[in-house]
Amino acid sequence: MPDAKEVILRIKRQVSPKGTPYWEEFALPWRPAMNVIICLRDIAETAVTRDGKKTTPISYDSNCLEEVCGSCAMLINGKARMACSALVDKLEQPIRLEPFSKFPVVRDLAVDRQFMFESLKRVKGWIPIDGTYDLGEGPRMAPETQEKAYPLSRCISCGSCLEVCPQVNHHNKFIGAAIVSQVRLFNMHPTGAMHAKERILALMEPGGIQDCANAQNCVKACPKDIPLTESLAEMNRQAWKQALVGWLIG
Amino acid sequence: MSRTATQPETDYFLRKLHSLTGIIPVGAFLAEHFWSNSYALVGRVEYDAKSLELQTIPFRVAVEWLFIFLPMLYHGAYGIYIWLHGKSNVSAYPWVGNWLYTTQRYTGLIAFAYIGWHLYTERWLTHGRSTYADVADLLQNPYALTFMFVGVIASSFHLGVGIWNFLCKWGLAATAKAQRAAGALGAMVGFAFSMVGVLIVLSFWLNWHPFDFYLK
Repeated sequence: MPDAKEVILRIKRQVSPKGTPYWEEFALPWRPAMNVIICLRDIAETAVTRDGKKTTPISYDSNCLEEVCGSCAMLINGKARMACSALVDKLEQPIRLEPFSKFPVVRDLAVDRQFMFESLKRVKGWIPIDGTYDLGEGPRMAPETQEKAYPLSRCISCGSCLEVCPQVNHHNKFIGAAIVSQVRLFNMHPTGAMHAKERILALMEPGGIQDCANAQNCVKACPKDIPLTESLAEMNRQAWKQALVGWLIG
Repeated sequence: MSRTATQPETDYFLRKLHSLTGIIPVGAFLAEHFWSNSYALVGRVEYDAKSLELQTIPFRVAVEWLFIFLPMLYHGAYGIYIWLHGKSNVSAYPWVGNWLYTTQRYTGLIAFAYIGWHLYTERWLTHGRSTYADVADLLQNPYALTFMFVGVIASSFHLGVGIWNFLCKWGLAATAKAQRAAGALGAMVGFAFSMVGVLIVLSFWLNWHPFDFYLK
């Protein structure tokens, strides 16, 4: 190949959760259809920086490589994106890779998104179907409800909506749009609706839905095109109705 | 968070109260205030008559504190608290909604400072008996005039964006289509209020009364 093209990456690294971050630059031979994950794999093969120094492979999370698992979310050229669907040919070089800033770093580009799972537990983000005896089939779901629920069910807990939200930061523990949208999904389900009130009350705890300030970044950043601002509005309405009516008539 | 809540907590109510007070009574008062001040566009005498009518309402002090001063003070103070708990990222994500998020904080602060000064000059120094002449005299000072324009536009902008935020955050505009309509409504209110506010200031500054033909 004449004039072999190169791909230049600048990667923010950190050896441990409390380590000091530092930058390393890498140069890789270009190949067709490269994405950011392929770059990280290529780096792992040689683990040599652009100026020829031996280093360690980059730590990062990834799994499905088709934007359905949510694990490879990171900052690519300063924007929250999934590394698997970030095509090198469409990115400005040098490609800057950083871990998400709203979650604790484990190592390099790998972050700990436990906060999201704790929040899901807080709002009871599941549908209980177990009883002490066979409860039989649940109620049927209207096709109209199914059509609304499906887009919400595509959430992959990647954390992009939290990363871009100005209300999620080190002094404000807002649970974020993804969690609110999951409450909407579970409350929409005919069996899930049996615990709707508990979930709505959990949404009104400190750090809950009231912390949304309508910047609407979440819906722009969501890689799964979930109508997050509609979910926030819908759950906000259910919440204040519960707060008002719950206080007046239980 | 292991326990199950049985009713919403204070944090929720304080936040919703902040949102509500922005529209009622603070936003509603702004509408009333611009309306009664637009009598300046008719004439000095009409403005003074309107002012006197408002200055001599029954239970005036109670009405002022309960429906104007305290709600504004709460909305402003809690607004600053909210600002301090957010972290603007508009340089990384320069989307329209994100810009409005950031400008809403600055216009709120400007409006809060402006209203404090406005109350001091027009309510406190005049012992609640401000007249056309008091306002017109004050506006001969170029700094006061500039601050008046800035304050009027910041307040109008803040109300316009606030209407959009309110309709989204109370789920009254829930679908994407309704939220676009709410945005258009907010923009129209912000623009109309800015225009009317600027006209009123010009009226005092230039002794200009475009509606005085009613009286001829």
